[in-house]
Amino acid sequence: MERDILGYKCRKCGHVQYPYRTRCRGCGHVEWNGVDIVYDTVPLPKNGKLLTFTHLYALPSDFEAVNISLGIVELEGGNRITGQLKIKDPKIGMKVFGKVEVVRREEYKKYWGMVFYAEGA
Amino acid sequence: MRDVYVIGIGITSFTRLEYPLAEIAAYPAVQAMQDAKLDKVDHMFVANMGAGRVNRQTGLASAVIDHLCLQPAGAETIENGPASGASAIKAAYMAIASGMHDTVLAVGAERMNEVNSLEATDFVSTLSHPMAEAIYGVTLPSLAGMFTRLYMHKYGVTARHLAMVAIKNHANAMHNPFAHVRNLITMDGILDSVDAPTNNPIIADPLRFFDVCPVSDGGCALVLASEEVAKKSGRPMIKLAGVGQATDTHAVHDRPDPTELTAVKLAAAQALKMAKKTPQDVNVAELHDAFTILEIVESEEVGFFKKGEGHLALERGETQIGGKIPINTSGGLKAKGHPVGATGVAQAHEIVTQLRGEAHKRQVKGAKVGFTCNFGGFGNNVVCLVFTRE
Ligand SMILES: [Zn+2]
Repeated sequence: MERDILGYKCRKCGHVQYPYRTRCRGCGHVEWNGVDIVYDTVPLPKNGKLLTFTHLYALPSDFEAVNISLGIVELEGGNRITGQLKIKDPKIGMKVFGKVEVVRREEYKKYWGMVFYAEGA
Repeated sequence: MRDVYVIGIGITSFTRLEYPLAEIAAYPAVQAMQDAKLDKVDHMFVANMGAGRVNRQTGLASAVIDHLCLQPAGAETIENGPASGASAIKAAYMAIASGMHDTVLAVGAERMNEVNSLEATDFVSTLSHPMAEAIYGVTLPSLAGMFTRLYMHKYGVTARHLAMVAIKNHANAMHNPFAHVRNLITMDGILDSVDAPTNNPIIADPLRFFDVCPVSDGGCALVLASEEVAKKSGRPMIKLAGVGQATDTHAVHDRPDPTELTAVKLAAAQALKMAKKTPQDVNVAELHDAFTILEIVESEEVGFFKKGEGHLALERGETQIGGKIPINTSGGLKAKGHPVGATGVAQAHEIVTQLRGEAHKRQVKGAKVGFTCNFGGFGNNVVCLVFTRE
């Protein structure tokens, strides 16, 4: 099954926000269903344009790699997302596509997040 | 609101300190009280970010008040990330301006070296967005690296400009006896020579080792007072004339233009407006150069230079001592050091020292208006202060 990163669509103004917030960043609306706050969830697009990136060599202590690449991507539809890059020679403005993969492990726990590849790779 | 003055200052060395956190807070507090010629205060705020996690101590302000034998004075710990220090000063300002208290200690302290540098980086990384940033391995240097790359792309800042910030601030720190790093660096040593890549390895490209501040221990304290107490003290009248604060999105990617530090711009404008000053009135400034790029960009957002031109002013030497607007005469976070919770207080300490005319070899001649920018998270919570000499 293909995994997705979810955006949160406001039931009043239709703004899709990522990451999740208690109030809608578009209009300030909060919708309660009596128990919880509700949004319509929508899968974020996976294609986009690389806005900026870095190769990080001073890694958090639980990473075993020598370095990781991180970037901010402007997704189709306008949302932005921070993710890991698996791109040999990234360039600002290049087209990329994302896959949801395990991005971090802490003992038995796995974290899933967006990993971007060069379009056509 | 009543006017508020700084009448006492104290600071520890920012090197590795081998005594407990509460003492790192208490020693400069004693110095500040002695400087103010007071043996008690009405209240104390202690700025700190890591005690609960790094030092496994909570309720720090209560421990510090006990060291100082200031009971039953009220005391609170203030945690606002790397902007905790200026937030403690702001709290002291509000307490005195409101008329609630006449004398307040604003203290900042951090003991980062109780853990190794990996754990210190992990600890500071907890500032990032837990779901949208931290899970990917995002650290503060990586946010700064992405920011720097975009800034270089847009405005033509180069690795050379970044190195110029580091070289200047290291040179300033040579004249600051409390600074963490006291050695001169050169363009040859960190960028041009064959040894440069070894001396100055990549941390989060394009940022290298000498673009990033060290992990420091240290404490700093100010005594703030009402006008009446300040006049009676006989100490120089250094007024805390402006206080500004602004916040921005938690995840950096969410900002409409990720090359803008909007919270810096807004907090600076607020503080200057309150002090009835313009950026051009400022004689000396301490900016939050946790990464070299930040000194350049903050100098633009505050309004010292036009957007995209901070690196050109740096090139012309305008931010050196003797230049148009000397920045980070203390050595900045880069060389003075960055004991996180203490930093905002230490920035104010440098400005008060400058306005008193007591900065010796790093003195900015005739300085009357000073400015500080204390930058929390990656720009999501910023506190700016303006000090004037009367
Ligand atoms: Zn909405």
